[in-house]
Amino acid sequence: MQSEVNARGEVRVLRPGSAREAVTMARRWGGTYIAGASWLQPVWERDQCWPRCLVALDPRWPGFRGIERAERGLVIGALTTLDELSRHPLIHDYLPALPELLKLVAGPGVRRLGTVAGNLCAGGDLSALFLSLDARLDLVGCDGPESKSLAAGYIASQGVDLIQSITLPDSRLWRIAVDKLGHRERFSPTRATVACVHGGDRLRLAVCGEGGPRRLPITEAALNDGHSRSDVDRARLLASELESCGWQDPTLRLAIQRMVDYLLAEVGHDD
Amino acid sequence: MTTEFRASVVTLDAGSDDSGSLTTELYRRIEGRLAYPTDLLDIPGLLQGAILRSEHAHARLLRVDTTRARRMPGVHAVVTADDVPGVNRFGIVVRDQPVFCVDRVRYEGDAIAAVAADTRAQAQAALAAIEVEYEPLPLVSDAMTAEQQPPLHESSNLLAQERFDCGDVDKAFAACHVVIEQEYRTPRQMHAFMETEGGVAIPDGTGGIVFRVGCQSGHRDVGQLADILDLAPSRVTVEAMATGGAFGGKDELTIQPAAGILALKAGRPVMIQLGRFESCRAGMKRHPVVAKMKTGCDANGRLLAHKVDAVLDTGAYASLGPAVLENYLDHATAPLYRIHAYSVSGRLVYTNNGVSGAFRGFGGNQATFAIESQLDALARALGRCPRELRRINLRTVDEPGSRHQPVRWTVAPVDLLRQAQQSPLWTLQKETSGRWLTGTGMALGAQGNGLGDGLPDSGGGRIALTPGGRIRVEFGFADYGQNVGEAITRAVSKGLGCGCGEIDVVLGHSRGPDSGPTSASRSSVLVHGVLRRMLPLWKAAVRQQAAVLTGYSLDHLAHGPGGIFHLGQRVLSYRELAENGRLEELVADAAQDFPVAPGQEKPVGRYLQLQIATVARVAVDRLTGRVRVTDLHHITAAGRVIYPPGYLGQIEGAAVMGLGMTLTEDMPMHEARMQRNNLDQYLIPTFQDAPAQRVDVLDDTPGNDPFPVRGVGELGIEAVAPAITSAIEAATGVRVHKLPVDPGVLLKGIHRQENLA
Repeated sequence: MQSEVNARGEVRVLRPGSAREAVTMARRWGGTYIAGASWLQPVWERDQCWPRCLVALDPRWPGFRGIERAERGLVIGALTTLDELSRHPLIHDYLPALPELLKLVAGPGVRRLGTVAGNLCAGGDLSALFLSLDARLDLVGCDGPESKSLAAGYIASQGVDLIQSITLPDSRLWRIAVDKLGHRERFSPTRATVACVHGGDRLRLAVCGEGGPRRLPITEAALNDGHSRSDVDRARLLASELESCGWQDPTLRLAIQRMVDYLLAEVGHDD
Repeated sequence: MTTEFRASVVTLDAGSDDSGSLTTELYRRIEGRLAYPTDLLDIPGLLQGAILRSEHAHARLLRVDTTRARRMPGVHAVVTADDVPGVNRFGIVVRDQPVFCVDRVRYEGDAIAAVAADTRAQAQAALAAIEVEYEPLPLVSDAMTAEQQPPLHESSNLLAQERFDCGDVDKAFAACHVVIEQEYRTPRQMHAFMETEGGVAIPDGTGGIVFRVGCQSGHRDVGQLADILDLAPSRVTVEAMATGGAFGGKDELTIQPAAGILALKAGRPVMIQLGRFESCRAGMKRHPVVAKMKTGCDANGRLLAHKVDAVLDTGAYASLGPAVLENYLDHATAPLYRIHAYSVSGRLVYTNNGVSGAFRGFGGNQATFAIESQLDALARALGRCPRELRRINLRTVDEPGSRHQPVRWTVAPVDLLRQAQQSPLWTLQKETSGRWLTGTGMALGAQGNGLGDGLPDSGGGRIALTPGGRIRVEFGFADYGQNVGEAITRAVSKGLGCGCGEIDVVLGHSRGPDSGPTSASRSSVLVHGVLRRMLPLWKAAVRQQAAVLTGYSLDHLAHGPGGIFHLGQRVLSYRELAENGRLEELVADAAQDFPVAPGQEKPVGRYLQLQIATVARVAVDRLTGRVRVTDLHHITAAGRVIYPPGYLGQIEGAAVMGLGMTLTEDMPMHEARMQRNNLDQYLIPTFQDAPAQRVDVLDDTPGNDPFPVRGVGELGIEAVAPAITSAIEAATGVRVHKLPVDPGVLLKGIHRQENLA
């Protein structure tokens, strides 16, 4: 863990020439990766406490910015901004629910700065949707490239591996519904964002917000196992799973339950 | 009771303004091109100042050592309580707040020292080098028990208490058919102005000092600053610059004392501009209020008895708290309604919870939230329509006010109610199934102009011709976004028959005429009254000189565009008059006392009254309990409109501010520490949260009314909160008594009702 400083002027900004060099620098100096900084910067300002060293990421590095169709689905560069994401034709084709969600994320100015990977690392609005899509992280590590599921990435979030891109499966034939509960209409931190994906014969659920980003495997399993359960039983199961993974506010759990029910109907789970 | 509907109704539309449309000034304002205090960076020799704030909410101050800070690079002055030349105290009502703390800090953010340096970074570095030793003291963080805690000042934590009584309230309750008892809580709202507190103090080279700052009363500030700086008032000048919002939050002194002391010490201009974090922490807030209300009526819905017991948390220092308490209680007597007997009391207490003071609405809107909620509850208990219950209890124009004082309305309250009942929002379909539940609700509010209660309240202005032939009009008011300058320009243009472009309005200069504070919705009333006295004087002086210069009879000369006219022809331009006339005689001053009710030895409450009915439509998310306010329809009765864009801006802007107080805004405290310090946590409404709004003007003032123009700076916020909570109840069946509305409370209520169904 690198030490911290109390003045912004004391922060040392390293500017590596490549992704591999960035990883090396982060390992050597203990630096924090920085791109749009739309989330980190206010946190540092608030606490008056900055990392001693920042490793500035460069969106011009190959594969770090832009969106491409690939055999395995859609590959999104980690430093693609949220604004680019919301406007890209491939997103409108593959994930029409995403641009609507992005309208609720921050304001236009922040969306032009904030990056996809930054939002995921902060457990932001994209986390629930990307978790429910089984997104994979394409990483640049000390030992070369590596691929890891986003869910696994959250578990091992303390490493120095650098996200180069995020791969989403081809979801064009899937039914996807996502909803956000914020404190106000727009430009609000998420209290709870819930995503529900009906991909063929499987249903996937994920949530992010005040309780942190989580897939909900127990509830998913109950929904996918073919056994009919009463609404009350299903609600209890979800509430229990949410509570066990950090969602302590019972009213928020109730809201999530109701959002899940609504989204399940949206994706035609009852069909 | 008035039964005929006589008043004219106009729906305001900024685009339909027929007198020159939106002005250059308005565009400059919208585009941020006005000169604000923050922009004063090119003053020669300017130093940057910063204030050291207390880390503790309550502690003994054992040691303040500035030795290291004084030696820091770029530092020109470091000051503490020892360096205050005069009185180390300030406060508009009670001077209980130290410029710099001496032996005790009373809130997290109390000022301890200040530094002036070449750069802001150097000033901040020097602040960090000041060593402060504290001995923490027990916190007074709960206003409800503050009076039982050790005092934060010399005597008890009860700063003020007041009580208004009318009739035998116990006997009246005994006769009630229905009684409603409820507790109401309103939040610690932050002004959240675009431009934080700031400005520059400039030594004038002769021992005096000039302040160019964002403030609300330059003349009043001169008195306090002169005492602090130990200067004669004549050596202190305050220029109240256009500032990016104030709303009461710049009524009290903010950075001026520290900037002034630093400037005198360094002998150079010093700018202090609070950062957003610092503004959140140290800035003024709206008083949180906890009020217990008990209201009863007979079986027909006639209000018989009303009892209020309120506690207002003023924080560590008084500021305008005592006046806020008075206005809260005035509104808690339910000024619009006839109640047989009441007992309304309130206590204002010191705590370590920051500082609360003036804020648009000034306590009135907090009381109106509770009063209007009580009326809805009574109607519900009786099974009556809430609007009908209001109708039978509304005062007529001939009745005295709720404190038996003479009042002057601009329309009959029942006419306002009738107009509100005709709002198209009532006819929209109510969604009772599906995700979004919709509902429409309404509330009424009354609001007075002026400082009220017999407080000294007067103001003046001046008009002159400049050497270049322009018409210069001066008032002491500050422009913090309400665009009072434009209202003055329009009124003068109309009075002189000249173009708006010929007039220069100069505001907020303490060397100019004293117009009193820019607060209490008093500016428009005084501008109108002063101009009514001043313009005839000036016109007479101008025509007299014009008669001499042109040879025409004075009686046949008239004012018109660009100068003086004779039989429809311009015979002398203002420039020619300025070049050839005696300019020193082409000046007129006038002043007046703020209108109070005639025949009162000790005026009570406010004489000039305004009214508003706000009809709200909301959509409540059945899944989560979140609330969208989709429409607000305001019917206002505030006299004549002299500047439609300004009127609209005030009503709509205040309403959105009230919407924020209702739905999202609060500065929660934990152990006397503020839990929000930036606008990413403290959430004000954005454009996406702002509803569609319609503003109707209902006016019944006769042509010869001496006070046809009223101030609307606060009217728009008065009834918003109860209108929204009434609409929420219509949509969900759940009534909210604590603001801001907690979506969780709504969700639980909706869920409970669904389970019952």
